[in-house]
Amino acid sequence: MTIRTDPENNETRALSDIANFSGQHVLEIGCGDGRVTWLYADKAAHVTAIDPSAKLIVLASQELPSHLQDRVEFHNATFEDFATASKSSVFDIVILSWSLC
Amino acid sequence: MVHALEEIHRLVKPAGILIDIHPVAEPSPVKIHQGEKIEPVGDLSVRQWCSDYQHADEALTEIKQRGLFMVEREAMFNSLTYYDSAAEMRTDWKEAIDKFARDAQSIDESAPQADAMAARAEELMQAAGNGAELVVGERVHISRLKPI
Repeated sequence: MTIRTDPENNETRALSDIANFSGQHVLEIGCGDGRVTWLYADKAAHVTAIDPSAKLIVLASQELPSHLQDRVEFHNATFEDFATASKSSVFDIVILSWSLC
Repeated sequence: MVHALEEIHRLVKPAGILIDIHPVAEPSPVKIHQGEKIEPVGDLSVRQWCSDYQHADEALTEIKQRGLFMVEREAMFNSLTYYDSAAEMRTDWKEAIDKFARDAQSIDESAPQADAMAARAEELMQAAGNGAELVVGERVHISRLKPI
C-alpha cells in the first residue's frame, strides 16, 4: 500500500515560486514526516524542523538523506516549548507547514 | 494561534519571511481515477478540519490588522492524494480525524461521514476493478508574509 501525495509536484512549484531558499536558515513548524521538508531542504543552508509527534519525527529522521544530515535537524517539540528556548531574530524563513490550526 | 504568530514574529529576522501553507476551509472532492475515466464518489466535509482552517485564516487576518506582518505574495494550488484502496484511505482519514479531535480537545463528528464515504468508495472501487485509484483533492493556500 502506498499513499502518494501531490505526485504532480504542485506544492514544490508553489514553494519555489514564493521563496528562494538558497543559503537560508529555515524553521519549519509542523514538519510531520518531513514530506514538505524534502521539497526545499537541499537548497537551504540549514533547516530546523519541529513537530509535536515523536512518531512522525522518528519517521522523518529515518528518511533523512545522508547528504542532508549536516544541514537538517528534526526535533520532537511543541512550537511553544521550542520558541521559549529560542533566541530572537534567528531564522530567515519560517514555514507553517499545514500547521496553523 | 495568534500567540504562535507573535512568537514567529520574534524568531524571524527583520528581513526574513513567514510562509504559511494550509488548505482552504472547503469540502474535499473524492474521486476514482481509472485511466482516463474519472468517477466522483462525493465530497468529504470534515467539520473540525474546516473549522481549524477557518481559525487559521482568522488568525492571519488579525496579525495583519495589528501590523505584525504584511502579505507580500499569495497563491493557490491543488494537492491530490492517491490511495490504492478505500481501506487505506479510511485509515489515513482516521489518523487525521483523531489527531484534529485530540488537538481541539473535542469529539469530532465527522468520523461517521468519513466511514460512509469510505464504504461507498469501497463499493465503487470493487466495481471499477483493477487499476483504479482513489483520489482526494484539496485546494491549498500559500502565502508569503513579511514582518513589519
